[in-house]
Amino acid sequence: METLNNLFLIIADAIRSLFADPHSVWANLTMDVINFIIVVVIVVLAALILILLERKIAGWTSQRPGPNRLGPRGWFQTIADALKLMGKEDVTPAGADKFIFKIAPMIIFCLPMMTLAVIPYGRKMAPINLDLGIFYFVAISSISTLAFVMAGWGSNNKYSLLGGMRAVAQMVSYEIPLLFSMLGVVMITQSFNLGVIVEAQASVPFIILQPLAFVIFIIAGLAELNRAPFDLVEADQEVVAGPFTEYTGLRWGLFFLGEYGNMTALSALAATVFLGGWQGPAILPGYVWFFMKVGVIIFFMMWVRWTFPRIRIDHLMHLAWKVLLPLSILNILLTGLGIYIYRFVMGG
Amino acid sequence: MFGKGLLQGLGITFKRMVGPNITEFYPEQKPKLPTRVRSSMALDREKCISCNMCAMACPNSVIKLTSEKNEANKKVLKTYHMDLGRCLFCGMCTEACPTKALTVTQDYENAIYEPDEMYWDMLKRAEQKGKVE
Repeated sequence: METLNNLFLIIADAIRSLFADPHSVWANLTMDVINFIIVVVIVVLAALILILLERKIAGWTSQRPGPNRLGPRGWFQTIADALKLMGKEDVTPAGADKFIFKIAPMIIFCLPMMTLAVIPYGRKMAPINLDLGIFYFVAISSISTLAFVMAGWGSNNKYSLLGGMRAVAQMVSYEIPLLFSMLGVVMITQSFNLGVIVEAQASVPFIILQPLAFVIFIIAGLAELNRAPFDLVEADQEVVAGPFTEYTGLRWGLFFLGEYGNMTALSALAATVFLGGWQGPAILPGYVWFFMKVGVIIFFMMWVRWTFPRIRIDHLMHLAWKVLLPLSILNILLTGLGIYIYRFVMGG
Repeated sequence: MFGKGLLQGLGITFKRMVGPNITEFYPEQKPKLPTRVRSSMALDREKCISCNMCAMACPNSVIKLTSEKNEANKKVLKTYHMDLGRCLFCGMCTEACPTKALTVTQDYENAIYEPDEMYWDMLKRAEQKGKVE
C-alpha cells in the first residue's frame, strides 16, 4: 500500500537518479518539464471527459440516455466533436483586433494549467510547492476575467463587447466572496501553502469546521466559472454566447475546453482546501482519494447546472454584494472568535 | 428553512438521474402505437367494387380512381391514386367504403425523398406489400 501511495514519488526519484547529481539544474529542469506535461495531460483529459459527462448528466436528469451512438454507450462522442471543431473554418472578423482576438482563447486555456500546477495531488505530489499557493491560484484565475474582455473587445462587435462587460461585472463581484471564504481556512492553518493546508486536515476536513465558507465558496465558484445558474455571460438560450459570438472552430473550442479546465482547477482547489485533498482512509492511495473528491465536486456542479434556472442579473449582483459578501465577512469574524476561544480553552 | 426549495429541486433531479430512461431507441425499438393512430392507408384490390364512394367522401379530394367493365358487366378497378400530401388521415373514406376494402393502417415510416413520391399508386403498394409478406 505504501509503495502504491508513493508510486509517483518513486518514479520521480528513479528519473532523478539517472543524473549524476540528482539535484542539479538539469535534473530539476527535466522534472519540471515532466510535471508540466502531466498537468497539460490532466487538463486535456479532464476537458475531454467532462464535456461528455456534462451531456450524459444533462441526459440523465431529463430521463434520456445522453449521447449513445458513437462507441460503447456513446463514450467516444467528444472525440467526434473535437474533430468536427477542427474541421471548421477559422474565421477572423475583418474589423477585429486580430492579435487580441487570437490570444484570448489561448490565455483562457493556459490558466487552468498554471493553476493546477500548485495543487498537491498526493503526499508531496504538488508539481510546484508554492508557499503562497492559494494567493497564486486566485491571482492567476482572476486573469480569466481579462481574457473575456479581450475576447469581447477583440471581436469588434458591440454585443460581444457587452457580453465581455457583463462577464467582468460578474466575475469581479464574485471574486471577493470567493477569496474571503478561503480566509477562514488560512486563519486556522496560518499558511497559504496548499500542502500545509492538506496536512492540517489529517483528522478533520475543513468542511466541518467551515461549512458556511464551503457553501459560499461553491456558490461564488460557480459564478466565477460562469456556469449555470450564473451563466448569464454565455446564456446559450438567450444571448448566443456573449463574448464568444464571433469565434468559430477550434478557437471557440478552446474557450469551451478552458471552461472545463477552469472547472477542474476550481474543483481541485475546493477539494484541497475544504475536503482534505489527498487525505483519506488508507484503503486507497492518496491521489485516488484526491481525484474522487474532485469528481464529486464536479458532479455536484453539473447536477446544479441541470437543476436550477438562470438567475436574473440584478439578483446576481444582489446575491454577491448583499448576501455572500456579508456572510463571508461574518464567517471570518466567527472563525477569529473560534480560534480565540480555542486558544483560551486550551490554555494558550 | 431558507434554501429548502433548492434542496428539493436537487432531490428531484437526482431521482430522475438514477431512475429509468423514458426514451425509446427508435430505429432499433419500434414504438407501440395507441390503437387509434391513423398514419397510412391500405387497399384490398379484391374487395374493391369501384363504387367511388371513398373519393366522394374525401374532404380534400385526395382519392382518384378509374375503373372499366369486364365481360360480366361488372366494374373492375383499373387505377387508384391517393395524393398523400393532402391527406388528413381522417378516415372518412374508410367509413364510406361499403366493402371495407380501404383501411387505415399504422405504418408511420412514410418519409420520402422527392415530392412526387407523395402521389401514391395504391394498387402498386398493395402488390408490393403482398410481395413483402
